[in-house]
Amino acid sequence: MEQPLIRVEGLVKSFPVPRSWAATLRHPLRGARVEVLRGVSLEVRRGEFFGLLGPNGAGKTTLFKILATLVQPESGSVEIAGIDAVRDPGAVRRVLTPVIADERSLNWRLTGAENLRLFAALYGVPTRDREGAANRLLDTIGLTEAAHRMVGTYSSGMKQRLLIARALLSRPSVLLLDEPTRSLDPVSARDFRRFLREEIAGRQGCTVMLATHDADEALELCDRLAVLHRGRLVAQGTARELAGIAGEHRYRLSVPRAQEGRALQILASHGLTTFAPLPVTDEAGWVSLAGDLPGGMPASAEVMQSLVAGGVSVGELAQVPLPLADLIERLLPQADAA
Amino acid sequence: MSKILALVVAQWRVMVSYRTQTLLSFGGLLFTVVPLYFVAGALQPVMANAIRTEGGDAFGFLLVGTGVILVVTVALSAVPSALSSGIASGTFEALLSTPTSMPTLVTGMSAFPLVMAALRAAVLLAAGWTLGVSMALGQLPLALLILVVLVLAHFAIGLVSGAMVLAFRTAGPLSRLVLVASSLLGGVYYPTHVIPSWLQAVSAVLPLSYGLRALRRVLLQGAPFGAVSNDLLILLGETALLLLLGIATMSLAFRYARRQGTLAQY
Repeated sequence: MEQPLIRVEGLVKSFPVPRSWAATLRHPLRGARVEVLRGVSLEVRRGEFFGLLGPNGAGKTTLFKILATLVQPESGSVEIAGIDAVRDPGAVRRVLTPVIADERSLNWRLTGAENLRLFAALYGVPTRDREGAANRLLDTIGLTEAAHRMVGTYSSGMKQRLLIARALLSRPSVLLLDEPTRSLDPVSARDFRRFLREEIAGRQGCTVMLATHDADEALELCDRLAVLHRGRLVAQGTARELAGIAGEHRYRLSVPRAQEGRALQILASHGLTTFAPLPVTDEAGWVSLAGDLPGGMPASAEVMQSLVAGGVSVGELAQVPLPLADLIERLLPQADAA
Repeated sequence: MSKILALVVAQWRVMVSYRTQTLLSFGGLLFTVVPLYFVAGALQPVMANAIRTEGGDAFGFLLVGTGVILVVTVALSAVPSALSSGIASGTFEALLSTPTSMPTLVTGMSAFPLVMAALRAAVLLAAGWTLGVSMALGQLPLALLILVVLVLAHFAIGLVSGAMVLAFRTAGPLSRLVLVASSLLGGVYYPTHVIPSWLQAVSAVLPLSYGLRALRRVLLQGAPFGAVSNDLLILLGETALLLLLGIATMSLAFRYARRQGTLAQY
């Protein structure tokens, strides 16, 4: 069996808790610490698009910084392509590159091409190849026309793409993406996700680890996912497996508002009592109801037939991803039990 | 070396993108040289005797002092400033994520301001030369060597301040303290032997005292290596010690910040 490209085993990390002046003066050496990673173990296979899903403060960024060798763990082990990340951080930085999602990490007074040429040098690209590497990547990310403009004049989407190009200069085996669509508008975020899937994972063949708190994004992009909550890995598997672990059969049903009551009655007759209206109703007077519908396609077909037979016009009956908060809420008891 | 050069070139491009600032940073030197010329002329009768072993010309004496303190100021602040601004702007984390060693990064990030300070000092000296300061141009290589050692000594102190920035996000008072002490007691505006005896103990530990005295003798009097070898040896010894201290504290601070998780944290 193929060795995993990334192997994380029992990772523990804590940070000092900021204290008040009074507490510091009373006990200068006695500082409390908060555990941000509590025995995290996971494996990522070569060529995989792996998602790390979790709310803010879950420990995603800390885990990424440990993988990128910027933070040293207290205990546990991290191996990237067989290299110990704690003992040999320099070697790890040759195979793994984090995409620093912060736009400020670009030099705004330099052009896009100049930014790339600088980092080509720092990644050890030979002098004669730097220009070519920068141009090729600018072409890949669709910034050739803006190559000689100062980065300060770029839009957020352009800067995000340039950040990716900068990371790709090193031809990394592993790319770490920490909430890359955080500052993008919905259209740019959608385009950017397509770019990640088709170009980075597809054509470039990178193994990608994506940290996000957007469950939709993770489910759309990732082959496998791990859910991190308060420093603990509460689940990992494919999107389908996670849905199974969480017992998730969440469906959305759209019906005319006038038929909402009738629809709920029919659903209740099938024992589906969790369905409730979503807060948003569209302009045409339709309402969306969301709830659990176990039993997969056969069960949903049966419900659809009952609704139509009962005189309810069904605009849509579709499986929808569980919101992150609900997913974690469902996974936690199972993780505790395990 | 290629990585250091790339960092220097990038900073050069950033600097020239601020055109007015670049022009003023060199053009403004005129506002230093011209007043210095007139003040030195007025002080010449008073200073002549005190500075006779360092050229005897007040304008030359003050010009070299001013040029050197300009370079030394940057040498002291280059590392902590580069680290602080890199951390604040977010570029430091990106640089750390590349397979570039910490010494290379620190050197590359701080080399450009040093080169610029040296250029400004050269312009200052050239302006002084056109205004009549007599310089032993044949001794320029030795003068440059002394300047390089002086820069290294103060760069090493800057490393300690840089280590403070990495570990505690503040440069601390060390660089400022050394700068104040060097400006007042290092022989920049008056020779060190006129300082009250109880302050001469402080002057005697400052690298600038030895470096500046040697530099003036070489540049303004054409003194050979043998005539300044004592000052140069003391300066070299201090520089070696300071470099050891600077590298050790920087290395400790890097490991501490990596353990604490604050390496690139704003």
